[in-house]
Amino acid sequence: MSFEGLPQGSGAKEKSFKESLYLWEVLRGLGVTLRHLVRNIFHTGEMPTMQYPEEKRVYSDRFRGRHRLTKREDGSPRCVACQMCSTVCPADCITIVAAEHPDVEIEKYPDSFEIDLLRCVYCGLCEEACPCDAIRMDTGIYEIAADSREKFVVDKDFLLNNTTDGTR
Amino acid sequence: MANLTIDGKEYEFPDGTSLFEACREARGEALPHFCYHPDLSVAGVCRLCQVEVEGMPKLTIACNTTVREGMVVHTRSEKVKRASQQILEMHLINHPVDCPICDQAGECGLQDQYMEYGLYESNVTQATKVLKTKAKVIGPQVILDQERCVLCSRCVRFCNEVTGTGELGIFNRGDRALIDVAPGVELDNNYSLNTVDICPVGALTSRDFRFVKRVWMLKSADGVCPGCATGCNVRIDHEGGRVYRLKPRRNPEVNGSWMCDRGRMTYKALHDERRLTEPRRGDQEARWAELQDELATALDKGALGLVVVSPHQTLEEMYLAVRLAGSPGKVVSGPADAGMREGDSLLLDADRTPNRAGLGVVGISELAGKDLAAAVAGARGTVLVLGGDPAADAAVAAALRQHGRVIYLGTHGNETAGCSSLVLPGAAWAEKQGIFVNRQGRWQAFQQAIARPGNAREDWRILAEAVGRQDEEAALGSLKSVRAALAAAVLADPSIDLNKLPEHGFAPGGEN
Ligand code: SF4
Ligand code: SF4
Ligand code: SF4
Ligand code: SF4
Ligand code: FES
Repeated sequence: MSFEGLPQGSGAKEKSFKESLYLWEVLRGLGVTLRHLVRNIFHTGEMPTMQYPEEKRVYSDRFRGRHRLTKREDGSPRCVACQMCSTVCPADCITIVAAEHPDVEIEKYPDSFEIDLLRCVYCGLCEEACPCDAIRMDTGIYEIAADSREKFVVDKDFLLNNTTDGTR
Repeated sequence: MANLTIDGKEYEFPDGTSLFEACREARGEALPHFCYHPDLSVAGVCRLCQVEVEGMPKLTIACNTTVREGMVVHTRSEKVKRASQQILEMHLINHPVDCPICDQAGECGLQDQYMEYGLYESNVTQATKVLKTKAKVIGPQVILDQERCVLCSRCVRFCNEVTGTGELGIFNRGDRALIDVAPGVELDNNYSLNTVDICPVGALTSRDFRFVKRVWMLKSADGVCPGCATGCNVRIDHEGGRVYRLKPRRNPEVNGSWMCDRGRMTYKALHDERRLTEPRRGDQEARWAELQDELATALDKGALGLVVVSPHQTLEEMYLAVRLAGSPGKVVSGPADAGMREGDSLLLDADRTPNRAGLGVVGISELAGKDLAAAVAGARGTVLVLGGDPAADAAVAAALRQHGRVIYLGTHGNETAGCSSLVLPGAAWAEKQGIFVNRQGRWQAFQQAIARPGNAREDWRILAEAVGRQDEEAALGSLKSVRAALAAAVLADPSIDLNKLPEHGFAPGGEN
């Protein structure tokens, strides 16, 4: 971007009478608006605006949406509560309480697993850190709304049933 | 003295020094190792500490070699590096690599050393590993994972050499070898958790700490165990205002590398529901600001009848209690047999209070229960009870109830709090700095680990304020100034800076 021609600090050049009225500039701006209006009326298909929510943008398959916890074959969480995700999380929004699993083959599992979606920055580091492929952000869900802050803190059950066939 | 060359530099060490320790000093860090431990016998089984000694045909283990005149040692040569890599690879052959669910992850000798010396590429598959027992409860405090064990035998040597209880052993041969307790035996002694500390991997882990926190989330402060008069040096691991575990800090003069299991659990009382957090007048919660005037009147020299100091208080607080009372007759401790139980010959002392020797330092005498009750009954003016629970003794409790004007400055809602008209929440050991004098007369300073809960305040501050109200010259506005006054009052050499006590504690008049 070039700054040439822009007023420079206190050394700005004096405005001419025409410029000081601003009227000409206002009319020029209205002209631009009018040009676009006419173009949009005759070329509706090229309009950049989308009719959301009827119409939705198609995101890449790698888009990081709301998290989900993957399951073992028996439906229990794959997560072993190693807390790699909560350690790497830059927003510090994952809270895990670990517990002893009755099956000694599994040994450790998350008694509670919470993510504060308001704090999450959707960086994807959690799914990258996970050694068990237990947390994924492949749901494609990005429409996240609630009417209180507390409801943005989602728990283990929510995350386990947060399937990929969300709104996509 | 032996002169030797380590990694190209000349050093001099006393005869008999282990080459391992010599290398530690020369390199500024220990050689890779699993089985060597400064407070146990040498086993030489892990073969990880190999170094190259010129003139010897093969690499040799440093832990089982003593320094010799004219030795030329290489610890960082290619040959040594390759040996470390190969030995580590061997240790990993049957290791389950289940770091995600292992409590040791983050402070594991195998992890750390593998990151530094490892090969990073595995030649074994999961399918060929020898499987052993996982998560086996072997005692009230300890849980064993035989697959993670590197067979360094530290735990076995600890139970044989330190406690002499011999619960653990290595069974079978070759890659079937495993650590276990004999059938019908439990690892059940008051020092069992030390095996968890010295286990370089996650084979032995603490049941109390199991899955509670990942270790890298913890912060640490240097503490002194409040469990008994031995005063073992500890590391207080805490996070977010909670203490999660105590670990021994090495002090060869006091506790070596060990501490007892009972002492390790002392942190639990910090967070129990009886912890006092707000000042109370009778049944009413009060605010410190409202109590200012009342305290000023009650703790005035004329109005103060008796101060009862517990041996759980710090030396600074004991000193301030003496200053506040004005005359030595007005400050006592007791009942003298409170906190006396059975000790053992290793570390645990019969006296379960951390600072009884401190009472002697500042000149506070101890009274038996009935004498203390009589002193309370005879006290003309307010009775200030500083910590402890003297009212656990029925006679003292009756005397305190009878007396009526009793202020309790303590940490827990106990009998004494119940007998007091005014209850003030003080700071528990992990919530303040201070000095404890142990049974050897050694002064040991400890740091504050966590914040005080609720509106609890530091005891020394309350006392120093009360002293300041009566003695404008006192200038006891900081712990530093209190310590300076304390040193001036009780030490033969008052120039000693109590803010910078030596690492292993300080014994006035004795060896340090
Ligand atoms: S996406 Fe990033 S910010 Fe969100 S939970 Fe995962 S690691 Fe934390
Ligand atoms: S990193 Fe994966 S396995 Fe570990 S706690 Fe997070 S979700 Fe669970
Ligand atoms: S259990 Fe731990 S301390 Fe004992 S032999 Fe195995 S690795 Fe060493
Ligand atoms: S021996 Fe005493 S000071 Fe040492 S850990 Fe046990 S209770 Fe604490
Ligand atoms: S530390 Fe020397 S052989 Fe294990």
